[in-house]
Amino acid sequence: MVAPDADSRHEVAGDRTPLLRIRGLGVRFQDFEAIRPLDLDVLNGEFLTVLGPSGSGKTTLLRTIAGFQQPTAGRIEFDGRDIADLPINRRPFNTVFQDYALFPHMTVRENVAFGLRVRGVARTTRDARVRDALAIVELEDLGDRYPAQLSGGQQQRTALARAMICEPRLILLDEPLAALDATLRRQMQRFLKVVQRRSGITFVFVTHDQSEAITVSDRICVMRSGRIEQIGTPRDLYYRPQSRFVAAFFGASNILEPCRIESTGEATTMVSTPFGTMRVDGPPPQVREGLALAVRPEALVPAADDTCNRIECEVVSVSFVGSETITELKHPEARHVLTMKTRSNPSARHPVVGSRLEVGFDAAACALVKGAQE
Amino acid sequence: MTRNRIIDVPLAAVAVLVYVSLYLPILLVFLLSFFSMRRGKVNWDSFSLSWYAKLFENDALGEALWNSLLVGSLAVAAAACFATSAAILVRSQPGRHSARLLEYVIFLPFLLPPIITGLSLLIYFREAGVGRGIFTITVGHTLFVSAIIYRIVLTRLNALSRNLVEAALDLGATRMQTFRFIILPNLRMPLLTGGLLAFALSFDETMITLFLSGTDATLPVRLYAMMRVGFTPTINALVTLILGFSILLTVAVALAWRRNAGPAGKTSREGRT
Ligand SMILES: Nc1ncnc2c1ncn2[C@@H]1O[C@H](COP(=O)(O)OP(=O)(O)O)[C@@H](O)[C@H]1O
Ligand SMILES: [Mg+2]
Repeated sequence: MVAPDADSRHEVAGDRTPLLRIRGLGVRFQDFEAIRPLDLDVLNGEFLTVLGPSGSGKTTLLRTIAGFQQPTAGRIEFDGRDIADLPINRRPFNTVFQDYALFPHMTVRENVAFGLRVRGVARTTRDARVRDALAIVELEDLGDRYPAQLSGGQQQRTALARAMICEPRLILLDEPLAALDATLRRQMQRFLKVVQRRSGITFVFVTHDQSEAITVSDRICVMRSGRIEQIGTPRDLYYRPQSRFVAAFFGASNILEPCRIESTGEATTMVSTPFGTMRVDGPPPQVREGLALAVRPEALVPAADDTCNRIECEVVSVSFVGSETITELKHPEARHVLTMKTRSNPSARHPVVGSRLEVGFDAAACALVKGAQE
Repeated sequence: MTRNRIIDVPLAAVAVLVYVSLYLPILLVFLLSFFSMRRGKVNWDSFSLSWYAKLFENDALGEALWNSLLVGSLAVAAAACFATSAAILVRSQPGRHSARLLEYVIFLPFLLPPIITGLSLLIYFREAGVGRGIFTITVGHTLFVSAIIYRIVLTRLNALSRNLVEAALDLGATRMQTFRFIILPNLRMPLLTGGLLAFALSFDETMITLFLSGTDATLPVRLYAMMRVGFTPTINALVTLILGFSILLTVAVALAWRRNAGPAGKTSREGRT
């Protein structure tokens, strides 16, 4: 696991204190370790996304926090208290399930009211609060429908209202948008974000979609094989990935490796790559071995006079995809093909396939990452 | 067209024949419970409810009918409690050896030849010093019909998202509240259908009952005994009553299904584009 770098934290952390402190938490199923002992702080009032490919342990982590799954190691502290012995129905957290888990025999109103009903809240208070909750999720007119009579997006919002009604400190959402189509999904992402901001409830949100994670999160925790690969703001992860895995997950397709450090300064590092020597701005890397240089396709541009990192290439293919033009480039010395994504421009000359082109990237627009995969 | 007729006419004839041979005896019994018959012709002037009156007077058949209804209701009630608890237990611990074992225990009396079940129970009750009667018959029937209710309830439980229980707990419900508000309402229909099926099974169960009935005979056992001495026309009244009762039940269940299928069965109106 890579420690989150210091400067990535304060941007969100500020004066926020951890709501949840997870220490050494591990979950094993027989001889399979779904969660390898990990530490994680969930800050009060933040929108934290747990991002990772399928099978990386996201659901297991969420279920362990909710109390459905017993951890086999470590502990979870809530507001400074260990909650190991706190049963599910007494934890001030509520869950939005991937399949929504709406009660099929109850109307929307009854579903939303359920949390208050089992707590013995008086009918009049209950009705008023349900009305408010339905107003927040814009379902005022559908209160008397049954879940089977709702569209996917409406079911989703019902599940959210039901989870929010008891004013939990934390809402856990397990891929809540996975079943929705693309347009609705984007709409719901914005909606979730707004609801979270307004309510001030801490959200822990699980997804395997990096663009979704970037859109909604204050911080993202990338998981891989039961480990936390990196935690940081969307910007950190996008511009400062610490491993090849994270860089690839966030769509940086240009990985220059092997990559050796030639010299390190305070804020710049010189590295040698198969494409030549490159300058990298940013704090010096924590490890010196097994590094790779990640360059985003949109950071790669036709070289100008002041471009510091230059690569002389041959154009392999050019494809126009609307707002962008994607050019594939090959360097005679390296086997690797580089991808360059430039903004399309009706008056600009396109590179010609087979021609030579000098491209380059800014020293601040690349990142040194752990290259070798364990 | 002619070709169709060549097929259709004989087909219709066969259908009519089948239905007539199926329902004619029933119609006959129905008529005979109200009218008398002479030389193959119904005497329409002879309408009377006397056979029904006889049935409810101190007739052995009436008593047997009452016993059957009593045993059926008790056995269904007991089996419903037992089978539902077992199904919930098995559902919450799938794959456990104890769960598999419990399943076998429930299915065994249903799968064993009734003669074995009956005989074993008879021996058991004799050794335990329990006198044969309504109680022993009820125990036998409970064991026998549990499997059917269990199966139907379990199927419904399996169809329910396991998340529903977790969602209820997550929202603060206790185990008891989860059962009352989430599980039980979803088991209403399976319990109704399972209960009716079980009742029907219990109603005509003969073999196990033969071993377990002392002096308290159920209807099938009584009818069986009557075969030796011959039937009185009260039997027509009895069959008509049972028939009417069955039709009523069927209609009631159909109505209940339709009402229940209303909200949950409808598909999304908004449509998921
Ligand atoms: N109850 C379980 N028993 C055994 N293995 C499990 C169980 N739940 C999850 N796993 C395994 O743990 C791993 C992580 O699962 P999960 O947390 O669901 O991943 P994700 O939600 O990231 O897709 C998977 O390989 C899965 O097969
Ligand atoms: Mg999952």
